[in-house]
Amino acid sequence: MGVFNTFYNTIAKRNSIFVPTIFATAFAFSISFDVGVTSFWDRWNQGKQWKDIRHKYVQDSE
Amino acid sequence: MAAVFFSKKALTAPPTVRTLASGVPSAPLVNFAVRSPAGHGHHEHGAVGPRSDAPARWAGGVSSSPVSGLSSKTFVSAPTTGVYQQRLLSTSAVCKDAPQVPDFSDYQAKSPSTNRGLAYFMIGSLGVLTASAAKSTVTEFLATMSASADVLALAKVEVELASIPEGKNVIIKWRGKPVFIRHRTQEEINEAKSTDWKTLRDPESDESRTKKPEWLVMLGVCTHLGCVPIGEAGDYGGWFCPCHGSHYDISGRIRKGPAPLNLEVPAYDFTEGDAKLIVG
Repeated sequence: MGVFNTFYNTIAKRNSIFVPTIFATAFAFSISFDVGVTSFWDRWNQGKQWKDIRHKYVQDSE
Repeated sequence: MAAVFFSKKALTAPPTVRTLASGVPSAPLVNFAVRSPAGHGHHEHGAVGPRSDAPARWAGGVSSSPVSGLSSKTFVSAPTTGVYQQRLLSTSAVCKDAPQVPDFSDYQAKSPSTNRGLAYFMIGSLGVLTASAAKSTVTEFLATMSASADVLALAKVEVELASIPEGKNVIIKWRGKPVFIRHRTQEEINEAKSTDWKTLRDPESDESRTKKPEWLVMLGVCTHLGCVPIGEAGDYGGWFCPCHGSHYDISGRIRKGPAPLNLEVPAYDFTEGDAKLIVG
């Protein structure tokens, strides 16, 4: 009884569970992928983007 | 007749010159590969070389040797040719069901159920990636149809609110349509709020139509047939449409006439400490 066997018995055995699980996982995956790539991009380009240097040029009149 | 001169002279010799002691006729100089002379026999197509109807060498044929003389042999069964079958079955060899098949037992799955689970997991993972890619392809394609940021920026209108005195209407143009902005007085606000709006034709409260009660922002298009109503007119002190006589109150709600709905409220916002109004 390994991980894959458990996976088969809980999810893949019935197609009515398998396909919705695939779609739900795809939804979660696309969001997490997007968030992950965006945070990586912000970290990689730290100090170069407008949102990082905006406070040097624009003074908010609050 | 040239072929005759190139062939051996024995062609013209008698087929038998003498008889061996065994009784076999001896014809040592007969050329069995000779062609028939051109123009002879029934083969008029000019075929040269050995006769085409002669049986193949392996099937037998006529030969002559100095020892046995002229002899003709016909092999009833063809001689064995090709690969001889190997005899693998012996007392010392392992007997298998299919001796030519290699042993794949090292490559077979240790646990078929785990193998099946892994296979389904890989199928599902590929399905996840494919569904995700398909979804983002569709959404990115649809995003190309929406308005770009520069178009959206041009589609906004800024109004300086300090230039509008209390109790006055201002009409500005926004996306080709007129927008009414009224700086309402306190009495007008009270009147708009005190109206029993639940009995109106298009019931909407004044609070739901304004973000700040002193500023009323509406599209200046009559909801009946699209005329532009006249401000500070009509029976209810609001707007009056001259085309078919729709009366709107001080909150822009339809009160009398053919129009079915209240004047539409566009998306707007106050910025820079309520000094500016941005429509759009």
